[in-house]
Formats: sequence, structure tokens, C-alpha cells
Amino acid sequence: MISVLSTNITSPLGFTTEQNYQAVLTGTSALKHYEGMWGLPEPFAASLFSEEQKAALALDGFTRFESLAIRSVQEALSHIQLDVASSRVVLILSTTKGNVESLDNPDQEGHYFPSKAAQTIAKALGISTMPIVVCNACVSGLSAQLLANNLLSAGLYDYAIVIGAEVQSKFIVSGFQSLKAVSDEPCRPFDIERIGLNLGEAAATIIFAKTSSKESWCLVDGATCNDAFHNISPSPKADGCTKAIEAVMRDRDKSKLATICVHGTATLYNDQMESVAIQKAGLSDIPLSALKGYYGHTMGAAGVLETILTMRATDDGVVLGSKGFTEVGVSGKICISNEILQTNKTSFLKLLSGFGGSNVAALFSKTTDNRQLTTDKKLHKAHTIRLSSEEGKTLTDIYKQQIGDYPKFYKMDILTRLAFVASELLIKDMGETQEEPAIILFNHSSSIVADSQFLRTICDAEDFFPSPSVFVYTLPNITTGEIAIRLHFQGETSFYILPEKDEALMQQILEATLNATNAKSAISGWIDAESDTKFECEISNYIIQD
Amino acid sequence: MEQLINDLKLQIKEALNLEELSLEDFDENAPLFGEEGIGLDSIDILEIIVLLEKNYGIRLANPKEGKAIFQSVKTIAEYVQANRKK
Repeated sequence: MISVLSTNITSPLGFTTEQNYQAVLTGTSALKHYEGMWGLPEPFAASLFSEEQKAALALDGFTRFESLAIRSVQEALSHIQLDVASSRVVLILSTTKGNVESLDNPDQEGHYFPSKAAQTIAKALGISTMPIVVCNACVSGLSAQLLANNLLSAGLYDYAIVIGAEVQSKFIVSGFQSLKAVSDEPCRPFDIERIGLNLGEAAATIIFAKTSSKESWCLVDGATCNDAFHNISPSPKADGCTKAIEAVMRDRDKSKLATICVHGTATLYNDQMESVAIQKAGLSDIPLSALKGYYGHTMGAAGVLETILTMRATDDGVVLGSKGFTEVGVSGKICISNEILQTNKTSFLKLLSGFGGSNVAALFSKTTDNRQLTTDKKLHKAHTIRLSSEEGKTLTDIYKQQIGDYPKFYKMDILTRLAFVASELLIKDMGETQEEPAIILFNHSSSIVADSQFLRTICDAEDFFPSPSVFVYTLPNITTGEIAIRLHFQGETSFYILPEKDEALMQQILEATLNATNAKSAISGWIDAESDTKFECEISNYIIQD
Repeated sequence: MEQLINDLKLQIKEALNLEELSLEDFDENAPLFGEEGIGLDSIDILEIIVLLEKNYGIRLANPKEGKAIFQSVKTIAEYVQANRKK
């Protein structure tokens, strides 16, 4: 359990948590209709910073994304005294696409890499430790907070600065449009007439401390479970989401929950799935807060932003209304309203689900909790697979010679192919697998090959045909989702990006994760691929030392 | 019609990276979904929608409209023939 020292939300609705809360409380939405934006042929609704706001947030020498993140952390830090240069402080950056705009901008060469952006942000803030980027698609904002919980609970740091940030661009909007997921009207979470999501840009920061006090909000517990069903469609049975909620709420009193702050993207499938999970978990009578009607889906920022708003509202004795909702359009029994409700409770559950099949549930409370999950397990590598193009074989050769029975291999991007082949060979080596190992992968280059490939489908206005099947792979955590689907593993899946292959830090993250969760083993390691003839991978099966 | 069917088979095979499916074995009447047929999924259908726009100028805004169209390569070919703009 870790406690919240300070927060910030920087969004089109305001540059502080309080400005944002007051705007939402009065029903203000940042969503607007855009036509012709970035040369896109189709209109869309989104929550975007105005030109004046962009100018106010810009910092010399930094990209728009970096400036936004730095501003948000600086504002959060301004409320507390914290020596950020201490080796006991870690920066965790949650983002799905970071500086992806820079791929297309010769003036920003090299800025693409998310770990580079994190280092730039850390340096500007005076942070001295190696930053960690969480790139777990839409669940990243909660994954980053759970990582903070794991690292602080393991005693590796005393403070974690969790920053969730996303800026919108032609890249992201055209990608979601190619998936037919974007609405050109303000979204309507859980509504019978919901027609898709809106995208949004924002940064949100939570500064966590290892110690807790009676006055502060605590991240009490969390769980991550994969659907092992499909990379972009949630399980209709809500397998992963239900499992994550049940893991967190097991032996806990649901009557203490003020609200469930749901993911509520307003897509047909997400909201339906969440309603099923909520009913299955026995939480149908807990009021929901679906906040995408105010900000749209702020992707890497969403989990942090929505957690902060729900804390602030609960402090105020309020359950925020689900803007855009009018009439229930899901089959699972839920309690939802577009009106503000009063509450005297001081706990809430936050849910997120995303591409790659990940589902996260996290419990926040102002009261302490006696359930102690943290243990002192030590891990060792039972089996290891190393694949390198230096050995002379192409990845496709290795697939054909040693696996050869999974035609979907050819549909994957190069990074996912590498992860898939390595995991298949590892499983063969292992003989039999432990029950649902955590799948935790690391790299440096994120999904740069798929990103560049997708960019080629949108850069020419005369030949503008954004490819949905390429866009899916512009999230590196799809690698973990593909492994989960293939092996039917419904445990934790996570993807982290580091500036370099740091085996000690990777082992620490892995041990901290297994010590804070129920996972008994893990498949974990480093994967990076440029092409069928240039790749590097070392993944291992970790088990708990007796 | 036969030429259009053959063109579509080739375009679908390339767009969806159906590496192990030979054009000879690609039956135009086989169902595109499910284990008995080609085994495509929802992302593949979105990619076919892009292909139809790119090659034939056909815009399908809502994938659900395509339920009847995407039964098989033959049903796609019939739709293309009736609606193509290029």
C-alpha cells in the first residue's frame, strides 16, 4: 500500500486538479467536433488543447508531449517538499504513443523513443534515477500506479512520480478511425445509442510515497488479468476484467465502495464487457462513474487522470455523473446516472481494459487495510531462450523450422513475431507450464517498425489509407497479448520500455511484481527487432526459489 | 467476373498476409469466417474495407453493413461489380 502526496491534472479543462474538478463538477466537457483537422478526411470529436493553451504549456527545447508532462509534474511538485534528485525517487511514465509525432518530423529526430522522452522529462525535473516507461495500451495509467506500488512496497524506492501523458495527432486519430471506433459526436458511455469513443489529450501526475498517513489516499491493491481472447476485442464473457475485480475485492467489503470509476470508452464492446464483469463480480449496486464524456479517452493519461478526479470527488462527498449517458444499453446489471450523487464513503475501485487483452482493477481508499500481500520471493531462471540475427537465420526461418503451425505469425509485426517465436521455443523447453505465469516484456525501441509502417499508410494525402491491421501492432504490449492468446494464459501481462537493457532493474521489477501479486512464475525478458534479419531477444521462465 | 474474383483473391491474400494460403486452394465460395473457411477475424474485415476503398473506390462506413457482403470472395466480387467506382 502506498499513499498519495500530491496530484496534478493538466487538460483542456484546466492546468490544476482543482480547476479540472470544478469544471467536471459543473458538467463542462472538453469534447469538440473537428473537421479537416490534420488533413483527416473524416470528422471526429475530441478533447484537444487550444492554440493558446498549447502556447502556454510549451517549453523551449522540448516537444509538445515532453512539455506537457514536465508542466504537470512541476505543478504537482509545487505543493510538496521532495528532493527529486534522491536515489530513492523514481519516475514512471505512462504513455501509449508518447512522441510518435516526431517520427514524421526531421527536426525531432531521435525523440521518438519513449525511453528517450522519459529521460528528457526526468532530466528537466532533476530526477537522477533511470525512468521506466509503461506501455500497456489503454491500461497503462493503472499499470504505472501498480508498478509504483510494487517498487515502493519492495523497498526499492521511497517515492514514485507517476505521470500519465498523451498528445493527440493524425497518427492516433486516423488509426482509431481505421478501426471504426471513433465517434464524431461526444461519446455516450453505456448508453443504448453509443457509437464510439472520442480521443483526448492530457497529462496527469500522482506522487506516491511509501509511507501512509490517515489523511491521505492510498493505493491499496490492484490486479492485472489478460482475457487471452483477442487483441482488440474484449472477451464477451469479461474473463479478465471479472478476474481482476475479484482478485482485488476478495475478502473485502464492497459496501465501502463509493463508486466504480469504469473505463467506459463508449464503444459497443468495452462497455458491454465491463457491465458483464461488474454483474459477475457482484457489484451491480455500486454507482459507476464513466468520465470519458468530459475528456474523451486520454489513453496513457486516462488511468491517472480518472483516479485523481475520483479521489477529489470522493473527498467532496460526490460521485461524478456519467456525462453522455441517458439510457442503459448494456446487458450486465449496472447502476449508472448522468447526475451527481452524494456519498459518505471513502473507497473506490478503478477499472481499465485495453488492446492486448489487458484488464486492470485497482482499489483506492482513505482507510488502511490489513491485507498484506507483499512477500519476499526470490526468483531464478529455470529456462532461457536467446535469439539473435547474428546466428545467421532469419526469424521466418526459425518459425518455419521449429514451429510452423500458426499462420497468424505472418500477420504479426516483426516485434510480435519475435516475442511469439521466442515464447513458443521457451514453452517447448519448459516441457510443461506453470499455472498462468505473468508475461512481462521489456525493450528499448517500443513498436518503431509498426509505427513507421503505419505512418507510411497515412503520410500521402493522395494515397491515404490507414491500415487497421498495422495500427493494432503500434502498441508494443500486443506482443504480450499474442502470447497470452496462444497459450491461454489469463494472468498479468505488461510491457515496459527502458533506455537500455538493464538486467538488474528488469529483475527488480519482476521480483517486485511477483511479490505483490499471486503469480507464481513469469515469462520475462528483453525483445527488440528491426527486421526479419535484425533482431535480439532473451526471454526466460522465472520460478520462485525454494 | 472470374477476373475480378482472381484479383480479389490476390489482393486479400496480400493485404491480410495469408502467407500459407495458395491461390489454387482459395475457394471463392468458402466462408471467410470460422474454422471451416478461411478463418478471418474482425481486423481482417476492416482491412478488406480499406482494400475495397483503395482499389475500387467503395466506401463502407459501418462494418456491420458488410455482414452480407463478406460471406465469401464471391459475395464480395458481386458487391464490387455492382458498386465499384473505379
